[in-house]
Amino acid sequence: MIVIENLVKRYKDVTALQGLNLEVKPGQIYGFLGPNGAGKSTTILSTLGLIFPQQGRIQLFDLEVFRDGKYDEGKLVEAKRRIGYMPEHATLWDFLTPVQTLDIIADAFKIPKGEKEKRIRELIELVGLEDAKDRKVGKFSKGMRQRLLLAQALINDPDLLILDEPMNGLDPMGIAEFKDIIREQKKAGKTVFFSSHILAHVEEVCDTVGVIVKGRLVLEGSLEKIKEEFLKKAGYVIIIETNKPVDLSNAPWNVSPLGENKYRITASSDVREDVHDFITSKGAKILSMQVKEPSLEEIFLKVVE
Amino acid sequence: MWWGFELEFKSTLRTKKLWVILGIMTLLYIPSFYIAKSNGVKVESLNDAMSVLVGNVNSSASFFIAILAILMGATAINSEIEKGTLRVAMSKPIRRISYILGKFTAHAAILLLALLIATIISVAGVVSLGAPLGAELFKEATLLNMLLLLAMIQLVALGYILSTLIKSSSTALGAALAIFFVIFLIVPSIVQFVAMAPYITSDGEIDLQKAQERADEYTKKYLFFVPTSQIDIIVRDARNIELSSGELKMNYLGIVHGIRENLPSFLSLVFMTIAYLAITFYRFLRMDLR
Ligand SMILES: Nc1ncnc2c1ncn2[C@@H]1O[C@H](COP(=O)(O)OP(=O)(O)OP(=O)(O)O)[C@@H](O)[C@H]1O
Ligand SMILES: [Mg+2]
Repeated sequence: MIVIENLVKRYKDVTALQGLNLEVKPGQIYGFLGPNGAGKSTTILSTLGLIFPQQGRIQLFDLEVFRDGKYDEGKLVEAKRRIGYMPEHATLWDFLTPVQTLDIIADAFKIPKGEKEKRIRELIELVGLEDAKDRKVGKFSKGMRQRLLLAQALINDPDLLILDEPMNGLDPMGIAEFKDIIREQKKAGKTVFFSSHILAHVEEVCDTVGVIVKGRLVLEGSLEKIKEEFLKKAGYVIIIETNKPVDLSNAPWNVSPLGENKYRITASSDVREDVHDFITSKGAKILSMQVKEPSLEEIFLKVVE
Repeated sequence: MWWGFELEFKSTLRTKKLWVILGIMTLLYIPSFYIAKSNGVKVESLNDAMSVLVGNVNSSASFFIAILAILMGATAINSEIEKGTLRVAMSKPIRRISYILGKFTAHAAILLLALLIATIISVAGVVSLGAPLGAELFKEATLLNMLLLLAMIQLVALGYILSTLIKSSSTALGAALAIFFVIFLIVPSIVQFVAMAPYITSDGEIDLQKAQERADEYTKKYLFFVPTSQIDIIVRDARNIELSSGELKMNYLGIVHGIRENLPSFLSLVFMTIAYLAITFYRFLRMDLR
């Protein structure tokens, strides 16, 4: 669906992509993870011909849209007929309503009138904007704008969805709904490629995850595999709360106090049982224990090392 | 191209931009006719009518539309990059050249609409002052406004260059205003002054006819990039002032006559626009849209 080979993109003073290789296969839901500034948006904008990389090769479907530093605009246009794209930090036209916006966008695909109206109605319902469908987008909240952006990306019933930080600004319910929409797409045999810098966003939806750091893909595989990698390198962090102060100075792990009767334990593997036993042996009780999911940024740092 | 046009045209019609332009024009026209009328100005011939129109449309209104045109152009692309709407639009199956052509055509169409309304208001104005309403008046008023349209389109095109070169739309706005004042107000005044200087005698008298001739010559030669100055020249030659037996006699010969007499001025209007557009398109086809 998407094949990117050795892609290099330099902005004036920054090299954002330094020979990126990536492949998204048909039917995949591919989570594209990376910390801020890693080059996620740069990659996505390149696949759509919105920016000009200097080197590499990009293939969409079976169309080679970029090669030898040049886009083939004819092929790009052809590919875009089957693509839906949702940009990052974007607004749509402030003075149009969702219905008017989708109507204009639909015209880019020359969707016939009757079909167009039906499609617009469905999409507005899908993204939950029925109540706001005739209000001007200018007055929309961030999450409502995100919903409309998703709707416009779906207007042509695309075979390939490319979404840049689609869950930014969504409330928990919005995120759940979004994930449902993505799963529906998968069921319909579509391919989805979306970026995020938050691990939780790709959980439960993605079958494949790729991690980009400083313009290079550093990890790729299933989410489980990647988490394991992460935890191996970053260590397990366990937070416990006890019923009374405990002396943990001779514990076999790295411990730091977190406040009254709260401790943070770092170990190289899952040591929850050992922790439990150790605390009990000291005559104290554990009131709560949780494995802290390391933040993606922390893990990225470890992975780059 | 049609989609690019539709997008820009429909969305501009729904903004306040167009209505601001029209509002300002109406505000400029209607009071000036009203004042003329209450001062007892009588317009009795096509010649008088066109003098009033040229005075009104070409001096005051065109100044404001010119500013609006260049500002409209200067934020056309960069502001869309800032907002992200351009990335949405260009992710659809459309070529860059079609998009920009469509967008520009839409801007031209909006100016055309504004000038058509201006024509109607101005014709109504002179007719209310007593001008004979006829096909000739309509034709001349339309031609005058079409000439202005050419000038405005050139300014939009110049603005487009700024909007592809300057990332921040507010900086581009500032630059456009600066350029407008320097290139279209200060430079022409300096050129006119330099041209006329030798004809100003020590006691402050001026040989008007000769000075004007030289000013025109300088304008054609050095101000080819100032569309409003070129229009001034064309419009001036639409009339013919004769000094017969001590009396000034004015004949109205028509805008077409003015164009014929000043073909280079007319062509510079067209070619500068094409040159600006070429630069814009060249940039737009190669630029990162982020
Ligand atoms: N227009 C630009 N000019 C110069 N440098 C840029 C430009 N756009 C992006 N960059 C740089 O390119 C690098 C990659 O940016 P990119 O936006 O692709 O990152 P990202 O992974 O999408 O980050 P985020 O999570 O913050 O969206 C960053 O170092 C950024 O500063
Ligand atoms: Mg980004």
